[in-house]
Amino acid sequence: MGGDGDSSKAAEAPAGDAVITINIRASNGSKFSVQTTIESTVAAFKAALVEKCEVPVEQQRLIYKGRILKDDRTLESYGLEADHTVHLVRGSAPQPASANTGSAAGTGGTNIPNTPGFTRGPGITEGGGVGAPFGDSLFPGLGINGLNGSGVPSLFGGGFSDIEQVQQQLTQNPNIMREFMNLPAVQNLMNNPDLMRQLIMSNPQMRDLIDRNPDIAHILNDPSTLRQTIEAARNPELMREMMRNTDRAMSNIESSPEGFNMLRRMYETVQEPFLNATTMAGNPGTDVASNPFAALLGNQGQTGDRSINSSNTGSETATGTPAPNTNPLPNPWNSTAATAGGQPTNTRSAPAGDARLPSIGSLGGQGVPDMGRMFGSMQDPAFVSQFLQNPAVQQVMDSMLSNPEYMNQVLSLNPQMRAMMDANPQMREMMQNPELIRQLTSPEALQHMASLQTLLSRNRPNQEQNQTGGVTGAGNNGGLDLLMNMFGGLGTGGLGTPNPLNVPPEQLYANQLSQLQEMGFFDTQENIRALSATAGNVSAAVERLLGNPGL
Amino acid sequence: MGSEGSSVVVPRNFKLLEELERGEKGIGDGTVSYGMDDADDMYMRSWTGTIIGPQNTVHEGRIYQLKLFCDLDYPDNPPTVRFQTRINMTCVNQETGVVEPSQFPMLTEWHREYTMEDILTQLKKEMISPQNRKLNQPAEGSEDQKTDAKGLVFKCSIL
Repeated sequence: MGGDGDSSKAAEAPAGDAVITINIRASNGSKFSVQTTIESTVAAFKAALVEKCEVPVEQQRLIYKGRILKDDRTLESYGLEADHTVHLVRGSAPQPASANTGSAAGTGGTNIPNTPGFTRGPGITEGGGVGAPFGDSLFPGLGINGLNGSGVPSLFGGGFSDIEQVQQQLTQNPNIMREFMNLPAVQNLMNNPDLMRQLIMSNPQMRDLIDRNPDIAHILNDPSTLRQTIEAARNPELMREMMRNTDRAMSNIESSPEGFNMLRRMYETVQEPFLNATTMAGNPGTDVASNPFAALLGNQGQTGDRSINSSNTGSETATGTPAPNTNPLPNPWNSTAATAGGQPTNTRSAPAGDARLPSIGSLGGQGVPDMGRMFGSMQDPAFVSQFLQNPAVQQVMDSMLSNPEYMNQVLSLNPQMRAMMDANPQMREMMQNPELIRQLTSPEALQHMASLQTLLSRNRPNQEQNQTGGVTGAGNNGGLDLLMNMFGGLGTGGLGTPNPLNVPPEQLYANQLSQLQEMGFFDTQENIRALSATAGNVSAAVERLLGNPGL
Repeated sequence: MGSEGSSVVVPRNFKLLEELERGEKGIGDGTVSYGMDDADDMYMRSWTGTIIGPQNTVHEGRIYQLKLFCDLDYPDNPPTVRFQTRINMTCVNQETGVVEPSQFPMLTEWHREYTMEDILTQLKKEMISPQNRKLNQPAEGSEDQKTDAKGLVFKCSIL
């Protein structure tokens, strides 16, 4: 037959089903030849190879003329001729449990260039792929979140892109990461394993998961593991090293016969519940605030869950359209979403123009303005820092922040915030620590936030280009936006106080006073006291007047 | 073969045709593969090469695709070589994937007897070199799950 193929070389062109001989060179050095027809598809060709090389079809990677052969094309389309050599490489098997993840990576058939100059690799080495999410991070589910919630599994990249971009940015600018991590505020947060654990344990689903998997509980309850992760996060080299180690461990697992099944089991028992736990944001009855993961990683559920989000905050129009959502997430810490929605110009002009005390005082009159949003829209770090370094502003912030009592009030006035704090005693503690808050709102910290934000938003346009199926990937940046909001909001909490020295409260709260009068609270003094205590928030003042002071 | 003697100057087309045949027939050590992109390009300028990651390195199991462009002055001057697959290697520009001649002596000290196969095998040797064999490699493509690990750590630390 081989001779047949050889001799027919000259005559084969017109013949439809001429059999030709193809030489195969396997990566382990072995050589053999097979006969096939030029019309057969690569997939069929691979099937024919199985008996010769004992490499399962899904692990075969065929390379000819420097190109990786795709299953759905014919040999002819690659210009394959008799006696030509095809290289065979044994790749790793596609991920067994990856119905929603592996579509692109495993086959090589869907290997589409997604950035102009840089094709992504043919997907040979997801060797660590299955395992990586487990080993590389203590919190594997969080990342997959984006994917799961986006509801468009095939566009795997979509949900991930925010993380990936953060990561990309960070790897390109390790300094930023380091600086960020070295911020005293961030360190403070991270050096507190109790807090991290608290955050995790406050999520009922997560707790459930831990109950069922003692191993995980062990990891999460082991402060040294947590600290190690944190350390690693701060040090890029260490992080790389750590990840390489896990990669290696994973390939070891893979090479053991039962390894893959074990990984699959792990996936089924751990990862999926994890996903569920972290994507519960959209479930009716689960408050965003009670699920810190969901809140932080927030918007992955956007397409499906937007309406729920918006009903929580009332500031985002619920459309439910699958269009990419580029808005930042509504600020869950903002008790006056409705008010703030109407005030954006006002809040924005304040830092721009002058930061004199009266103007800040008037801001206070509007409750806690949605400064976070302004912050998010302001992508000029210099601007922010200028604002924050204004001595007047600093003075106000200092005076506010040095008064823990006041911070307490601000924080407890916000129902969502309160719920969050009730769920997390640690958080309350944190919030009541003026030192920490000062750190968080320090100009340097905000500056870093802002520069991170800038980096991220710079990526947004091209990210959108990469989205084809209406995934809400772009919206995922909102996760960071949310964070910005969070910190922005904190700063504002401090800023939003009335300044009794300059403006008498009657005048400052004239509007609110008349509202309270209309509601039937006739004691002006009492009203003023309530309004001053609540920074002019009418509803909070009412609550206070009715005998439910925030604390 | 081009290496038969430096006294004989092999014309460009002959040399490229020979390389083409070697590529198609898989003559060589079998860990590199290369071929022409466009069979109709009579100047035979644009080529694709593949390096199979050498064993016992971080590259093991990976397949790296490269673009080689042989301009009309080839083989008097070396082709430009660019990795299409992301790779972290000392001689490769992280942004563009271009193999920097300044870091890859073979291109600066080019001899016209060299072939593209030589370049590919040399690059493969480079992958085995101590400074490259253990370099952390970028996650493959944008979809790979490894990608998010760092992001996760990051997010967690934010948490």
